[in-house]
Amino acid sequence: MNNGQANSFVLADPEKCIGCKACEVACFAVHNRENGVGAAAGTVSVPVIPRLYVIRTDSFMMPVQCRHCENAPCAEACPVSAIRQKDGAIQVDEARCIGCKSCAIACPFGAISLFRAYSGGSEYKNRHLKKRQDTTLERKTRIIAYKCDLCRGATPPEEREESGDKSGDESGERTPWCVSVCPEEALTLMTPVKEMNARLAAVRRL
Amino acid sequence: MPSSIEPIIHIDQELCTGCRRCATVCPVDAIIGERRSPQSVDPQRCVICGQCVQVCSAYAAEGDSRLTRRSDKLRERGQLSSVHEPLFAAYSTGHASELREALDDPKRFNIVQCAPVIRVSLAEEFGMPFGTLTPGKMASALRRVGFDRIYDTNFGADVTIMEEGTELISRVMSGEALPMFTSCCPAWVKHAETAAPHLLHHLSSCKSPMQMVGALAKTYGAKAEGVSPGDIFSVAVMPCTCKKFESSREEMTVDGYREVDLVITTRELAQLIKAKGIDFNSLPDEPFDSPLGLYSGAGTIFGATGGVMEAAIRTGYELVTHEALPDLQLEFIRGAEGIRTATVQLGDLELRVAIVAGLKYVHGILEQVSKGECPYHFIEVMACPEGCVSGGGQPKLLLERDRTAAYAARKASIYNHDSTLKIRKSHENPAIIQLYKDYLGEPLGEVSHHLLHTKFNSRSPKSSGMMSSP
Repeated sequence: MNNGQANSFVLADPEKCIGCKACEVACFAVHNRENGVGAAAGTVSVPVIPRLYVIRTDSFMMPVQCRHCENAPCAEACPVSAIRQKDGAIQVDEARCIGCKSCAIACPFGAISLFRAYSGGSEYKNRHLKKRQDTTLERKTRIIAYKCDLCRGATPPEEREESGDKSGDESGERTPWCVSVCPEEALTLMTPVKEMNARLAAVRRL
Repeated sequence: MPSSIEPIIHIDQELCTGCRRCATVCPVDAIIGERRSPQSVDPQRCVICGQCVQVCSAYAAEGDSRLTRRSDKLRERGQLSSVHEPLFAAYSTGHASELREALDDPKRFNIVQCAPVIRVSLAEEFGMPFGTLTPGKMASALRRVGFDRIYDTNFGADVTIMEEGTELISRVMSGEALPMFTSCCPAWVKHAETAAPHLLHHLSSCKSPMQMVGALAKTYGAKAEGVSPGDIFSVAVMPCTCKKFESSREEMTVDGYREVDLVITTRELAQLIKAKGIDFNSLPDEPFDSPLGLYSGAGTIFGATGGVMEAAIRTGYELVTHEALPDLQLEFIRGAEGIRTATVQLGDLELRVAIVAGLKYVHGILEQVSKGECPYHFIEVMACPEGCVSGGGQPKLLLERDRTAAYAARKASIYNHDSTLKIRKSHENPAIIQLYKDYLGEPLGEVSHHLLHTKFNSRSPKSSGMMSSP
């Protein structure tokens, strides 16, 4: 997969993006199978929390997500080492995350969001931390950092093959779901070493 | 139910991002708006097929404080307050809340019918694989939801074959008003009324199976149950958003009573089952009620494109030739989106048929018919891409790429159900034989004409005249 080379990341073309949010929905769906999210929208019982966001301005729209920085400032800022480089991607270990928001502040792309955590289709509560709810004390829901993991923690590829997906390249790197579902092909998985080689080859042909 | 002019398909102006993917699946160009701005639906053109509802992926993001509250949105959409699934921009008006209230009224005799495809798609709403066949769990769930009788649209499909098959043969023999188009799909009927009012006499005069069951439930069924038609509350569970419109058409009444009082979609039934706290996956299999819940394999295949045609040929062949059809699986009629044609030898008669799956493909055929150059005798038209398996009220897929697999699995399951049923031809269904013996007399007879046939109205802005079918 990575072999010590630069991390891949997903890049969007604002010229092509139509703002349909299919990437957001797919991202959520494939990362929440353990929350009971199946193929049909009716199986969704938790809020849609994607790991990329379609941003809109007056002149353009495009999804924005983690660049998987080589010297990830989010990981550097994390006081509990919950963000790590693993399988060629910068990933959050959601169980370790303390919700301190340091990563969100450190991220130069705004690619990290903090939301409630869900487990088994319900809110995932802290063990001891409580909050006042009317007249009683209730265990507070855990808040964790969500970011793109290049689909490393998504539905495994064998399930995708059942639904006719033949994506993935010869190097074994799986195409993230957002890239494969985009109806306009506005998203690309950028693999720096391949990109560099392709550009070098193009220069040599000149 | 909404009146026939009230729009059923909506686009939430707060949520629509103007991507116009809905416009790419709309077969009648009813989605209006500029790219990147919220779209709206032209109710005159819209055939209420709900394909836009199926494809829309713009949803209400969690915690977006600029949006109207979720609870208000659910109320506005006619959906139960317990619905958890994401709210998308394109949606159809819901009636599950209305149904829930009606079911709580002890004075009413509540009956329900389910379209053929509900039993192959409902389970997907509970996380089961595409096309899982669950007629028994469906009947069981409906009884627990509070219905007194569980009937079946498939029974109506069998009646449709008796009536429409007979009508076709009589038209072919007389050579009048050919080709004959099917009239089961309300989106196709609405489109014909809007875009081709001069061809309405080519539509079969048969009501759809849903309306037939509705009419029979308040007459034949009421008598059998010993209840007054006025006390019957007739509900239909449909894969189709346009069935909501069809049931509200003025002419869909029998002896002063609405044939179908309320229509909910597959998705709405699942929402109601969840709201009632019923664990669908562990329900036991229960039977439908007789006689209006008994069906043949021919009734069941109505849910897939080509199904009406296949069912009609199974019966038509035997009516014309008085011989048993050698092979019941008419594979040459089965298929996916687009147009398929075939020639079927019925004794001396060479019957030329066409199947249109997807309303956008019908325009060429309508032109041919207008010019008198259409070579077919019988044409099945279904507005949705692959028939009712792909209807606008069916489970909505989160991943567009699952669509092909889901439709294929639902279709395979329907055909599998048919192949395992003992009775696979409408005219051999004992409940149908009994119905004609005890009540209707004969297909196209006086009682049938009163209960089961209708006429279609021009909806063209140019003409306001009424055209009746022969």
